[in-house]
Amino acid sequence: MPMGHTATAEAGSGGLTATEHRLANGLRVVLSEDHLTPVAAVCLWYDVGSRHEVEGRTGLAHLFEHLMFQGSKQVHGNGHFELVQGAGGSLNGTTSFERTNYFETMPAHQLELALWLEADRMGSLLAALDDESMENQRDVVKNERRQRYDNVPYGTAFEKLTALAYPEGHPYHHTPIGSMADLDAATLEDARNFFRTYYAPNNAVLSVVGDIDPEQTLAWVEKYFGSIPGHDGKPAPRDGALPEVIGEQLREVVVEDVPARALMAAYRLPEDGTRACDAADLALTVLGGGESSRLHNRLVRRDRTAVAAGFGLLRLAGAPSLGWLDVKTSGGVEVPAIEAAVDEELVRFAAEGPTAEEMERAQAQLEREWLDRLGTVAGRADELCRFAVLFGDPQLALTAVDRVLDITADEVREVAAARLRADNRAVLVYEPVENEADGADEAGDAADRDDAEGADQ
Amino acid sequence: MTDTTESLTSMDFHPRPEAGVAKPWAFPAPERGTLDNGLTVLRCHRPGQQVVAVEIFVDAPLDAEPEGLDGVATIMARALSEGTTERGAEEFAAELERCGATLDAHADHPGVRVSLEVPVSRLPKALGLVSEALISPAFDADEVKRLVDNRLDEIPHEAANPGRRAAKQLYKELFPASTRMSRPRQGTEETVRAIDAGAVRAFYDAHVRPAATTAVVVGDLTGVDLDEVLAGTLGGWSGKPAAPRPMPPITADDTGRVVIVDRPGAVQTQLLIGRIGPDRHDAVWAAQVLGVYCLGGTLTSRLDAVLREEKGYTYGVRAFGQVLRSDGEGHGASMLAISGSIDTPHTGPALDDLWKVLRTLAEGGLTDAERDVAVQNLVGVAPLKYETAASVAATLSDQVEQHLPDDYQARLYARLAETGTVEATAAVVSAFPVDRLVTVLVGDAAEIEEPVRALGIGEVTVVS
Repeated sequence: MPMGHTATAEAGSGGLTATEHRLANGLRVVLSEDHLTPVAAVCLWYDVGSRHEVEGRTGLAHLFEHLMFQGSKQVHGNGHFELVQGAGGSLNGTTSFERTNYFETMPAHQLELALWLEADRMGSLLAALDDESMENQRDVVKNERRQRYDNVPYGTAFEKLTALAYPEGHPYHHTPIGSMADLDAATLEDARNFFRTYYAPNNAVLSVVGDIDPEQTLAWVEKYFGSIPGHDGKPAPRDGALPEVIGEQLREVVVEDVPARALMAAYRLPEDGTRACDAADLALTVLGGGESSRLHNRLVRRDRTAVAAGFGLLRLAGAPSLGWLDVKTSGGVEVPAIEAAVDEELVRFAAEGPTAEEMERAQAQLEREWLDRLGTVAGRADELCRFAVLFGDPQLALTAVDRVLDITADEVREVAAARLRADNRAVLVYEPVENEADGADEAGDAADRDDAEGADQ
Repeated sequence: MTDTTESLTSMDFHPRPEAGVAKPWAFPAPERGTLDNGLTVLRCHRPGQQVVAVEIFVDAPLDAEPEGLDGVATIMARALSEGTTERGAEEFAAELERCGATLDAHADHPGVRVSLEVPVSRLPKALGLVSEALISPAFDADEVKRLVDNRLDEIPHEAANPGRRAAKQLYKELFPASTRMSRPRQGTEETVRAIDAGAVRAFYDAHVRPAATTAVVVGDLTGVDLDEVLAGTLGGWSGKPAAPRPMPPITADDTGRVVIVDRPGAVQTQLLIGRIGPDRHDAVWAAQVLGVYCLGGTLTSRLDAVLREEKGYTYGVRAFGQVLRSDGEGHGASMLAISGSIDTPHTGPALDDLWKVLRTLAEGGLTDAERDVAVQNLVGVAPLKYETAASVAATLSDQVEQHLPDDYQARLYARLAETGTVEATAAVVSAFPVDRLVTVLVGDAAEIEEPVRALGIGEVTVVS
């Protein structure tokens, strides 16, 4: 084993445990105890995302997520936000391709309130849903779209890349934010039907993590969620399977008011949950993660042709994952020069694979990311739900880091050779209009804006 | 709809549960000490936090930058991790990442901050590298030139970002042109272009030394002999003693006015409304935190209740107070501001509503219920907010750079709980007086200028 190192004395699960339960109505429940801090995280994943949307109704899953904060039978208007924040908690919801999640992090003694709130809207949202909140949140979401995508340079890059990488009609062809026209077209009845179809206890996983008494917690879950009827009317999502490689290089050139030329590309990669996906993660980290990656060293340090250069991975379980290249050019550098250098690096990597030292670095970085994610109760609750919803087993969250550390350099080289090829990418080139005047992390569109405050120049 | 009726009635409803008994929690108290070389250390053991955070503050403020070299502190901070006398830039970055560490260094008005996060097992190695960067940076001429060029490339990206553009304009409007605070923290194209390795070295020699430095170390330190780790790392740094630098007074012109930064075709208007106020040393701070939260801390606060949840003009507008700099002698200041993005056609109506919210607040004050919810949130979220080592370290380091006592945050929570509605109202009303606000709008002037003029909230000028 060349890579025997681990950051913690106890690798992988780090001593964390989780238990699983299922209510009679089909709600799956995952509990994980941790008494370090008197806080408890509640996380609820509904197995519905933008991939379930139909033509003409893109953005509906996310718009609906906003409506979940507009009250239910026993909770008036903004009561959900008011009650959680008034209890010293924090909360939000986000929508991605494959799921919609809702979460509250509470002082431990306020846990029961969060469970009551989530149950109330799971069981009785339609008692409160009306035209007024529909019209209001439609406007809010359209402003979210403007703020995060339409009014910032390169803001729609991710939308364009996914539209290129996943063919017309594919469930991942459009992103969760949806189009303005479809947001305008959504009706109250669409929202009601969406709720009736997807918001059922047997289409959800609830995790509770932190300073909890598992027995008491389970009793509360049974009390509040137990009587919500399950139903099986959910249609299977459209098949997201695609050939392993695109088979040609797709390309779009955008001439827009952007501050610099940019080269972006989306590579079709193995599905999440596979060894090959973990290997791809390591490949992208060696090539384009952090300040010691091959692309950073080549383009930013040595050639000095780029302001920033990196790779990101969007893990997807129901369709090929996406490896996302993002290079912003320096000064007057032209895109072909960048492209040639990127290709040279990719070809060499596919032939030689990572060095032992690069493997060690990449594994240390990904291990550290896992420590961060599992290091907070909210992060752990979200990961437990993720593995339960997407892969049927929450325990896999606690051993994910072991699987990354188990990947060999050969596997990394193999996946790079098979996938990081010119005939397996969609390329997006930005050319500024005339002279001169960050791509967003697309994991989710959230109910509330990011609270990060500040006014730095 | 029959289905609807069915789903309304088919579950058992229970009354809203009452809270259980709160468990005690207190903001952690650090242990303070000084190394032989004069470097101050704050340490704080947080059980379970396997990723240790180290925040290093160096008293090297922006106003110490030589005339015409704005940005030299930024370039120096970045150059610290671009090679030492012992290893080159690529090797340095590789060794840090081999530790699973992240390192960030930046310069702001109070000084330079270097932030390290690393799994505890690799703390000695990573802190060794950071110490090497602080003690023996190479400042290689070619690497510095690369950082300068890279910084020059970043400037147009910032200018194209509506939020950054608005902030740049607001600082320019508020502060006298002769003061450092009026100009971009990371320099302008002209000043950055003038920076070279010699200038970086000179700034380092003049300001970066152990006696002017405080290191905050937070995390699960079980089994870590931190004294030994420090002795083998930061303890090996030597330098002359440092005299505290007097801070120039901060003044601002908050004459009510509007500046439109023209961005033709923009689908939204980025708004940033601001002025300056007291720092954390002022007795009003707790009440101001409370009042500002009620005004614009969350989507149920007064601003979003109207602008977002009633009118749908925005994804969200926030009010906040952000300390710019403190000297602990009563000369500090904070930026008090309201920011958000409004769709272009509603810019006029939204500003009209925003001013109405401020006037209504000044006339009628906050309610007791608003005050209570705000206190419960601000105090109640503390254990969540400070779950990670990094968040604790950042707050402790903020206290250091603002010359606050180590128990400031802990006492702030007690103060918040004691603060009444009247106090909070008075604080937020004096923080945002309607006739003393500078409004910056980054948007399509052709669309928004006339409606904004019609509001009568101050003289309107348009810049490009």
